Amino acid sequence: MKHKFVNILVPLISVLLAFVIGCIIMAALGANPFVALQALWTGAFGSMRNLGTTLARSTPLIFTGLCACFAYRCGVFNLGGEGQFLMGAVVCCFIATRSGLEGPAATVLCLIAGALAGGLWAAIPGVLKIYRGQNEMIISIMLNYVATLFMGVVYTNWLRDGTVPQTAPVPNATKLSRLFGLRVTTAFILALVTGLLIYYFLFYTSKGFQLRAVGLNMTAAQFNGFAVKRYILMSFIVSGAIAGLGGSADLLGTQFYLINGYASGYGFDGVAMALIGQLHPLATILVAIFFAVLRVGSTTMQATTGVPTSVSDIIQALVIVFTVAGLAMVKLPQFKAAITKLSARKEAA
Amino acid sequence: MKKIFALILTLAMVLSLAACGGGNSGSGSGTPSDGAGAPADGGGSSDGKTYKVAMICDSSISDGGWGMACYNAMVDAAAKYGWETEVSDSIAQSAYYESIVAFCDLGYDLIYAPGNQYTTAILQAAEEYPDIAFALLNGGADTPSQAVNGNVTSLLPDAQQVGWIAGILAGLMTETGKVAFIGGMEIDTTKGKYAGFVESAEYVGAQEGKTVEALDVVYSGDFSASDKGIEFAKAMMDQGADVFFGDASAVDSGARQAIDEFNAAAGSVKVYDIAQPGDFLGQNECIIGSQVTDNSGLVGLCMEAVENGTFGGETIFGTMQNGVLSAGKLSDLVPADVQEKYSSYIAQVMDGTFMQ
Amino acid sequence: MDSTFISNLILASVRMATPLIFLSLAELYSQRAGLVHIGLEGLAAIGSLVGFLVSLITGSPLLGVAAGAAVGILVNMIYAYATINLCAEQIVYGMAINIFAPALASFIYRVYFGAGSELVQVGLMTTLSGLLGISSDNFLVRLLLDQTPMVYLAYGLVIFTAVYFNKTKSGLNYKAVGEYPKAAATLGISVVGVKYAASVICGALAGIGGAYLTTCYSTTYTDGNVAGRGFIALAAVIFGRWSAGGVLLACLFFGFCDALQIRLQVGSYGIPYQFFQMIPYIATVVVLTVIGMKKAGPKGVGKPYLREER
Repeated sequence: MKHKFVNILVPLISVLLAFVIGCIIMAALGANPFVALQALWTGAFGSMRNLGTTLARSTPLIFTGLCACFAYRCGVFNLGGEGQFLMGAVVCCFIATRSGLEGPAATVLCLIAGALAGGLWAAIPGVLKIYRGQNEMIISIMLNYVATLFMGVVYTNWLRDGTVPQTAPVPNATKLSRLFGLRVTTAFILALVTGLLIYYFLFYTSKGFQLRAVGLNMTAAQFNGFAVKRYILMSFIVSGAIAGLGGSADLLGTQFYLINGYASGYGFDGVAMALIGQLHPLATILVAIFFAVLRVGSTTMQATTGVPTSVSDIIQALVIVFTVAGLAMVKLPQFKAAITKLSARKEAA
Repeated sequence: MKKIFALILTLAMVLSLAACGGGNSGSGSGTPSDGAGAPADGGGSSDGKTYKVAMICDSSISDGGWGMACYNAMVDAAAKYGWETEVSDSIAQSAYYESIVAFCDLGYDLIYAPGNQYTTAILQAAEEYPDIAFALLNGGADTPSQAVNGNVTSLLPDAQQVGWIAGILAGLMTETGKVAFIGGMEIDTTKGKYAGFVESAEYVGAQEGKTVEALDVVYSGDFSASDKGIEFAKAMMDQGADVFFGDASAVDSGARQAIDEFNAAAGSVKVYDIAQPGDFLGQNECIIGSQVTDNSGLVGLCMEAVENGTFGGETIFGTMQNGVLSAGKLSDLVPADVQEKYSSYIAQVMDGTFMQ
Repeated sequence: MDSTFISNLILASVRMATPLIFLSLAELYSQRAGLVHIGLEGLAAIGSLVGFLVSLITGSPLLGVAAGAAVGILVNMIYAYATINLCAEQIVYGMAINIFAPALASFIYRVYFGAGSELVQVGLMTTLSGLLGISSDNFLVRLLLDQTPMVYLAYGLVIFTAVYFNKTKSGLNYKAVGEYPKAAATLGISVVGVKYAASVICGALAGIGGAYLTTCYSTTYTDGNVAGRGFIALAAVIFGRWSAGGVLLACLFFGFCDALQIRLQVGSYGIPYQFFQMIPYIATVVVLTVIGMKKAGPKGVGKPYLREER
C-alpha cells in the first residue's frame, strides 16, 4: 500500500514543483502567474465546450501512450508510435475518402484497417530486431520520418483535394459521432475501452502475465521455455495496432483530413505519458488527459497573458523530468530499504 | 537531493531570465495584458469600443519572410484603425483550432489567419462563433461561401501577378538565362506564383533577346528549415541559376545566405534574389527588389468592415490595379536602363497589356 | 553527371556531415561509458540557441561555440545525475531532455527577442581560406582549406577518439566501464567518475554540434533547426559499430545521402519530393539491415550501475 502511495505522491509533487517553477518564470516575465493559471484552468475546463476540446485533445495521446505502455511492458522499446499512428490515419483516410463506402460499416472498416496498418508498420522493427538483431529504437525512429514523409506524398499528391496540400475530409456519415454535441467523440470512449482491455489482458490473463515476464527478464523467460521471439514480435504488432487504431480514430473523430504537421510529436509524447503513468494502462490514460489539459489550457493562457506557449512546454517537460527522476529515486536500494517488504512482495506477484 | 536538483534548475532559469531581461524592456512576447491603454492612441471607433484582432501563424513572426510580413501588416493596420493586437505564432497543426477558439473566447473581434492551411480550422470556428469575423489571407475564392454564418472573408492576392512582378525583374537581370524558385509547400498560390514567375521571366527574356528558362521548382516541405534553403540555393547555383525567387519564409532566408556567400566568394554580386511579400531591400546584399503585397491594406479593409458591421462572406482580391500588389524598391545593382525597362513592364501589368 | 556536379556533391556531403560528427562522437563517448543517450536532439537545440545568442552578443562565433558546449554540459548534468545517481531509465531521461531543452531554447529566444518581428542574423565563423586570404575554385583547395576551424576540430576529434579508445590505458579503462562496470570497479576504476566524465564530454560535444549549426552553417536560428540530427547521430554510432572511424564513415554516408537527395530534387519535378527526403532514413534502415548486427555494442549500455548491488 505504502509503495503505491509513493508512486502517486511522486508525480503529484513533481507537478507541483513544475508549476512552481513555471510561475516563477511567468512572474519574471511580468505576467501575473495567478491570472495565467486561471486562464489555463478556464481554457481547459471553463465551459462544456472547452472540456470537450480537452478530452478530444487527449484522445490521440491516450492511444500513443497505451502503445508505448504495452510495448514497454513486454520489454521492447517501440519509439515508433508516431509512425504507426500516422500509417493508421493514412490507410483510414484512403478507405474513408476513396472506397466509396460510407456509414457505420465504413467506420468500423476504417478503424480495423487503421489498426492493421499500424500493426504492420510496427512489425518492421520487430522483424528486424528478431532476425537481424537490429536496435528497435533506431529503426522505429527512422520509420517515423518515413511515415511522416509518406503521409506528405499522400496529402500533396495522391489524395490531394483543394488549394492546399491536404486531403478531402472524411464523409460525414463515416465520422465518429460526437458526445453531447461537443468536440469529444466516441473515439475517446474507444480509447478508454482500449485502455481497460489492455489492463485486463496484462494483469488478468495468463498470456498477459507471460508477456510481462518476458518484459521483466528476457533471459529468464527464455530459460523457462517461453517463445521469446514470438512474444517480441507480437508485442510490437499489438502496440503498433493500438497506435494505428488511434490514428484512424482520431482522423474519424476530430481531425477528418491529413495535412502537414498532423500528429507531430504524438509518439514521443506517448512514451513520456506511459512512463509517468509507470507503465500502468489506466494511469497512462490519466496522465494523457492531464497533458491535454496543459496543452489546451496553455493556448488560452498564451492568448490571455501573452506568455509564450513554450512556458507551458517547459512545465510539461519539467513534470516529466521530475517524475521520472523521482520515481527512479524511490526505487533506489536506499529508498527501497524503507519499504522493502511490500515492494518485494509486489515484485514477486 | 531532489530539492537541490530543483533549486539548481530554478536558479539556472532565473539567471538566464535575468540575463535576458536587460535585452528587451518589453518583457514577454506579444503585447501583454497590461496593454489596456496601449496602441489605441485616440483611435478606436466612434462608439468608444476598442476592437481587438488576433493573428495565428504556424511559422515564426521573426522568420524574415512570410510570418514577419503578415505580422507587420496586422500591426500597421491596427495602428491605423486603433485596434489592439495579439499573436500566437509557431503553433502546431493540432493547435490551430484551439488557438483560434481561445481568442474567440476572449472576445476578439477579428481573427486573422495568414495562410490557406488554416481554412478548415477557420471554417469550423466560424460556425461556432457566428459573431466573430474571420479573415483568411490566401484563402480560397470559394471559402467564404462555405462558411454557414457568412463571417469568413478571403483575402486573395493575385498569385499570377505576384509571379509576374518578380519574374519580369528576373528576366531582365539574368545573365546565365536560368532563374530559380524555391517553394515551401505545394500550395496552389505557391504554384500560381511559380507559374507567373516562369512565364513572365521567359517572356521578358525573349523580348530582350535572350533565352531564359526556369529550373524546376523545389519544395522544402516546411517553412522553417533555413538549412534546406542553403542547400537548395547552392545546388541550384551549381546548375547555373542566377536569379532567385521563393515562397518559403525562413527557407528563403537560408537561400539568401547561401547566395550572399557565393557572391562574397566571387568578389562581386552576380546572383540575385527577389524578396516577397514585404519590401526587404537591404536585409541581404543579394536582394535586388521585392514583390510587395499590401496585406495591411487588406486587413484594414476587414477592420473597416467589422467596425461598420458590414463584414462577411466576400473574397477580396488583391491586384496591382487595386493597389494591393506592387513592385518594391530596386537596389543599385539594377542598372538605370534596366530600372526604366522594369517600370515600363510593370506599367503594362497595370494596364493589363502585359504579355498580350 | 559532370565533374562539377560530383565535386559539389562531395563538398556538400562534408558540409552536412560535420554537425553529425560532433553529435555522433557525443553519443559514442556516452555509450562507451554505458549511457545510451537519445536526448542529443535536445542538447543540440539548446547549444544551437546559446551559440547563436553568444555569438550575436559578443560578435565571436568561437565564444558562441564555447558557450554552446558549456550549456550542453550544464543541461546534460540533469541527465547524468538522474541516470547515474538515481538510476533512472536512460531512454526515458533522454526523451525528457528532448522535450525540455528545445522548449527552453524556444522560450529564451522569444524572451530575448520579444515579439520583435525582425530577422536576426549573425556572422559566421571565417573559413581557413578566408583567414589565409586564399580564394580559388580548385576543388581540392575548397575541400581542404575552405572550411571553418570547426571542421578540422571534428576530424581531429575523430582521430583523437580512435587513438584514445584503442591505444591508451585510460581509454581501455573507459571502455571497461561501458562493458563490465562491476569488473571495472574491482580494478579500482571509478565507474561513477567515468560516467560523469562521459556526460561532460557528451554534453560538450552535443552542444558544439548544435552551436555549429548557428555559428558555421546558418546565420539564423529557427526552432527545430536540429531537425532530427540527434537521432541520425544515434543511428550513426550503431552503424559505425561504436568505433570512431566507423562513426566518421557513417556520418559521411548520411551527409552524402542528404546532399544527394537535395540535388536529385533539383531537376526532377513530377516525382513527389518527399520520396527524395526519405532517402537518408530508408538508407539507414537498409544499410543497418544488410550489415546486420554481429557486434552489439558495449554490454553495459542502458543498464544502471548500482554500487551496492551484489
